Amino acid sequence: MKLSPILLVARRDYLAYVGAWGFWISLLTAPLILAILIFAPVLLARAEPPRDLVIIAERVADEAVVAAAFRASARRDARAEIAAYINTAAPSATGAVLSAFDEAPDSEAAIMAARETVRVEAPGVLRAFPQPSPRYRLIEPEGDLDIETLRPRLTGGDNALYGALNIRRDEDGAPLIEYWSINLSQDEPLNVARTTMRLVMQREALAAQGLDPREADRLNGFEARVAQYDPRAGADEGEVTLRQRAPFFAALALAFVLWSVVFSVANMLLNGMIEEKSNKILDTLLTSVRPMELLAGKLLGVAAVSITLFSFWAALGGALAGMAADGADESILGQIAAAFLDPRLLAAFGIGFFFGYIIYGAIFLALGSLCESIQEAQTLLGPVAMVLAVPMVLVAPALDNPNAPIIEGASWIPLFTPFLMLVRAPVGLGWGEIAGMGALMLATAIVILVVAARVFRAGVVDQLNLTTLRARRKG
Amino acid sequence: MNAALEAEGLVKRYGARTAVENLSFSVPKGSIYGVLGPNGAGKSSTLRMLVGVLRPTAGRIAMFGAPLSRSSMQRVGYLPEERGLYRSMTARGAIGYLARLKGVSAATAFARADELLDGHGLGAVKRKKIKTLSKGMAQKVQVLSALAHEPDLIIFDEPFSGLDPVNQRVLEETIRAQAQAGRTVLFSTHVMEHAERLCDRILLIVKGRKAFEGGVSEALALAPSVAVLETEGEYDLAAALAAHNFAVAADGAEHGNRRWRVRLENGRDSRQLLQACVEMGAPLSLFEPARASLHEAFVTLAGEEARGPE
Repeated sequence: MKLSPILLVARRDYLAYVGAWGFWISLLTAPLILAILIFAPVLLARAEPPRDLVIIAERVADEAVVAAAFRASARRDARAEIAAYINTAAPSATGAVLSAFDEAPDSEAAIMAARETVRVEAPGVLRAFPQPSPRYRLIEPEGDLDIETLRPRLTGGDNALYGALNIRRDEDGAPLIEYWSINLSQDEPLNVARTTMRLVMQREALAAQGLDPREADRLNGFEARVAQYDPRAGADEGEVTLRQRAPFFAALALAFVLWSVVFSVANMLLNGMIEEKSNKILDTLLTSVRPMELLAGKLLGVAAVSITLFSFWAALGGALAGMAADGADESILGQIAAAFLDPRLLAAFGIGFFFGYIIYGAIFLALGSLCESIQEAQTLLGPVAMVLAVPMVLVAPALDNPNAPIIEGASWIPLFTPFLMLVRAPVGLGWGEIAGMGALMLATAIVILVVAARVFRAGVVDQLNLTTLRARRKG
Repeated sequence: MNAALEAEGLVKRYGARTAVENLSFSVPKGSIYGVLGPNGAGKSSTLRMLVGVLRPTAGRIAMFGAPLSRSSMQRVGYLPEERGLYRSMTARGAIGYLARLKGVSAATAFARADELLDGHGLGAVKRKKIKTLSKGMAQKVQVLSALAHEPDLIIFDEPFSGLDPVNQRVLEETIRAQAQAGRTVLFSTHVMEHAERLCDRILLIVKGRKAFEGGVSEALALAPSVAVLETEGEYDLAAALAAHNFAVAADGAEHGNRRWRVRLENGRDSRQLLQACVEMGAPLSLFEPARASLHEAFVTLAGEEARGPE
């Protein structure tokens, strides 16, 4: 079978990349790194033993109320962990499991009750049922303790403490909370104590006005019912839930994937080009392939590499999601998976990848053709890397307000469009705008390809490089 | 149409520097054609223009009677001066790939790769990666990759550089075999012995300009005759013949005798040289009129600036 020179170059480059160890390492490590990023905080939190905390208070009631606040916080965390698990693994059992949890008198009993309900309602997912443990374990002070006595344990050594709360009262009865810990960046216990003691102070003030403490508690428990709605035509009626928010997370994930793939495959092109220059293979190739065909073949070959990566990751993600949840339609994973299938998001991703890859790939290939070594390439790559960093810097504010003028403006700068178009897609980027951005990127890609082809030709045929360029500039 | 390749008024300039200036020549079909010249003469620039890698600043090239095109380039096998192959490809894969780029089908390309590698003693390493081969083996693979598509015109740029004497001899045989098969071979070199042994015609380039084009015998005829002499002991023949206006150069020593090479220029012949030696009582142990070498022809044609090569 005869293939055109472009396809032959593409095929050779493709096989060279997929035959290299680096490709398989990327293929396998990328999902692994993503999984680590997602699950590491959870696993680390689970692996970490509870933090031992001592509460010293002048008044027994103060100690009791703050300790109760820590227990309530631990119960909320356990409920959230169980809810997240059951909602993903067996959504149909969510209601029964959480009811059982809520009816139990304390945190430990609640976890047991939830577990028992899962055993009955969804025995298939019992094996991976979480074992929530409290973040803080309250240590009963032995006898009359003060901070000076605890200081050795607070600075390490035997029976080390994570921290100690010292709650005192001034002459007017106002609470004074001290938090002692060597973990200076973490002040969660202090915030729990402060919030709790504020309620205590409110209750005491209301009692001083003659109000029944139970009435004060009722008043403190007031909370407005809140609901968020999406006013756009065609949006789901009813409250905004995860289903509506999922496209934003999907867009963020796709923008990150697109950015990292474009950057890494463009780097592949650069390294491949430098390798060919240093291997002195170009003169041999150029008697059979025109420079533009070589450029196109290389772009095509590496595009096929990235499509292989995407296909593998998509298949892996799909298979894992399918295995993780029955009736994926109702689960969190199902909702997020459905968000990825949003036509606008997919269109933005496809167009963004195609043109982003061509634009950045051509730039990197042209730069590579001017370099004889990686060291030379690094001097040229600095400015390009800075340009590539800009859209990632803008992604966070874009998620916060995708229609901010600066984000909207930046999304029309062709070098940033592939990434920012994705982030803006969930807020109702119209098909017209998507087509407009596509047309703009098409025009930019043509201009960049023409310029890159000239630079490429000068680099590979006329052997122009940084050294000769410098010499010309001096001359 | 008897020319496989014709160049007319070729010029190549790199900025202000002129590498090739108004070069015209013609390579007959089926011949072995040598492009000679000292380092930096413009040989590689000329060859790169001939294979379409470099665009001439001016001039015209005709290959098989027509301007350079993809179809004509598919009939050319080229070995560049700066050699290299994909290091992670196998020898068989590299030859097959380059043959496919020349329009050969996959099955034929790999069958020819096998045949060539087996036929040149590289059958055992044909599935080994280029990076694991010795430099000489890799160079052989590259030569074979220029032949796998059975080109009508073979262009080799300094093909002998980097090869040991045994492999130089093998390459000479390969070039002869290709010519005997009816193919045209053009190669550049600055080592005259290869050109003298192989070429039917030569082109001599000096400073980018043509200094000579023609048959090897025509070139040799333009060079002065020489005589090789040996004198016994420490006798200084150069000093003795200086008065007789002979150009004498020391040519080493053997068995305690000194060897001399005398250029017979300005109408002087070997008889006059022998007479002068006898008159001076030179203790001769050898007197041997010799045919001029291509190197001497080269020096004569190119002038003093061409003494560098060899």
